[in-house]
Amino acid sequence: MIGGSIDRVVVVGNGIAGLTAADTLREAGFDGELTVVGGEPHPAYSRPALSKALLLDSGDLSSHELPPAGHGGTQLLGVRATGLRLDRRLVILDDGTALPYDRVVLATGSRARRLSDLPEELTLRGLDDALSLRSRLAGRPPVVVVGGGPLGMEIASGCLAAGCRVTLVSQGVPLILQFGPYLAGVFVKAALDLGLTIVQTGSARIEQREGGARVVLDDGAVLEAETLVSAVGDVPDTEWLADTGLVARGAIHVDSCGLVRPDIAAVGDLAAFPTPYGRRRIPLWSSAIEQAKVAATALVRGEDAPPLRFQPYFWTEQFGLSLKAVGRLPLQGEPTYVDGGPGGGPALMRWSHEDGSGVAAALNYRIAIPRLRRMSRTAA
Amino acid sequence: MKIVLDRPRCEGHGLCEEAAPQLMHLDDEGELVLDREEVGEADAALAHAAVRMCPVAALRVA
Repeated sequence: MIGGSIDRVVVVGNGIAGLTAADTLREAGFDGELTVVGGEPHPAYSRPALSKALLLDSGDLSSHELPPAGHGGTQLLGVRATGLRLDRRLVILDDGTALPYDRVVLATGSRARRLSDLPEELTLRGLDDALSLRSRLAGRPPVVVVGGGPLGMEIASGCLAAGCRVTLVSQGVPLILQFGPYLAGVFVKAALDLGLTIVQTGSARIEQREGGARVVLDDGAVLEAETLVSAVGDVPDTEWLADTGLVARGAIHVDSCGLVRPDIAAVGDLAAFPTPYGRRRIPLWSSAIEQAKVAATALVRGEDAPPLRFQPYFWTEQFGLSLKAVGRLPLQGEPTYVDGGPGGGPALMRWSHEDGSGVAAALNYRIAIPRLRRMSRTAA
Repeated sequence: MKIVLDRPRCEGHGLCEEAAPQLMHLDDEGELVLDREEVGEADAALAHAAVRMCPVAALRVA
């Protein structure tokens, strides 16, 4: 066994990546001392639900809840790691504790990128963010959302559904960078039909005003709102690893098994792993799970473990539309319709990239992911 | 152990089917069908893996 026997494993991070890694360590046969460190006081939850069902005013506050952890390890919640001592194999926590390990999983995820340090700039990343935004929406304040990606659009959709007047500030057409022009067009139309105001700009900044914050666009126009939410990307939480030499351009680079070294795995939103299109962070639900399974197995079994073979799965729900897509986005050009047709109604669509890889997408169409995956591989 | 489905929560992603095709599948309508609700020790890990994949926690083991 590389690096000696495995008696103690520490998983730093209790999101879906850390949780899956902990479960998988057990399934791979690790029966030693397992400790999971979670920065938030909450048990692990489903992050995708925060900007979807949880934001809606249905009274259901449980859509993010996950089944309890089954790994039987010690969970230290509300505690943050502040350092990693590679030479002595210790994880240092913010309460001064030093946890010894034989193997460690780095899974601290990422946080919202911000445009200012102003407290009026809200973001939606964690459960507390979502609950606080949800309670604000009860008063139906006018809302400005800065960010035209999937998260910004989901937030805008939730705020509209709550009865707020909502302005979305986007660099160019919303979703066009992430989805490509065809699907962006479908979603923008649905958003406009429901009353979303979209302001396109080259750039936006957030600055202080008396009693709050405001958004200033590149042409000098100013938007003021009682509630201001930004959704402009994420930043990996790797500062606690700064002096380890493991951080490269903000992320942790791993091999195709999710390992940094034989005794260290990194999984989830902070990990950049090899893909056919180069080394990438793919901060998505199923990506975090697949990475965690592969890496935890590799930590226990060493070189016998199978490498990651990952095809992105993405879904969103917004403005009355639901989209599921398998394959690499964004998409150029018009789709081939496997079922349904243009116009924003239920449709099963397929695109081919220039390199021959395919993408299958289901719009308001119930279909199992395995079928969607098969469809993405079939030439149109 | 038993796999329990909370049907109203299920959004039909089918990530569970991908994790444990021996235990469950989505039918032609996209509705989840539990092919085996009672699972033995041998398939416990499989059942847990399927439950863990669900982003809306529509599945649990009891």
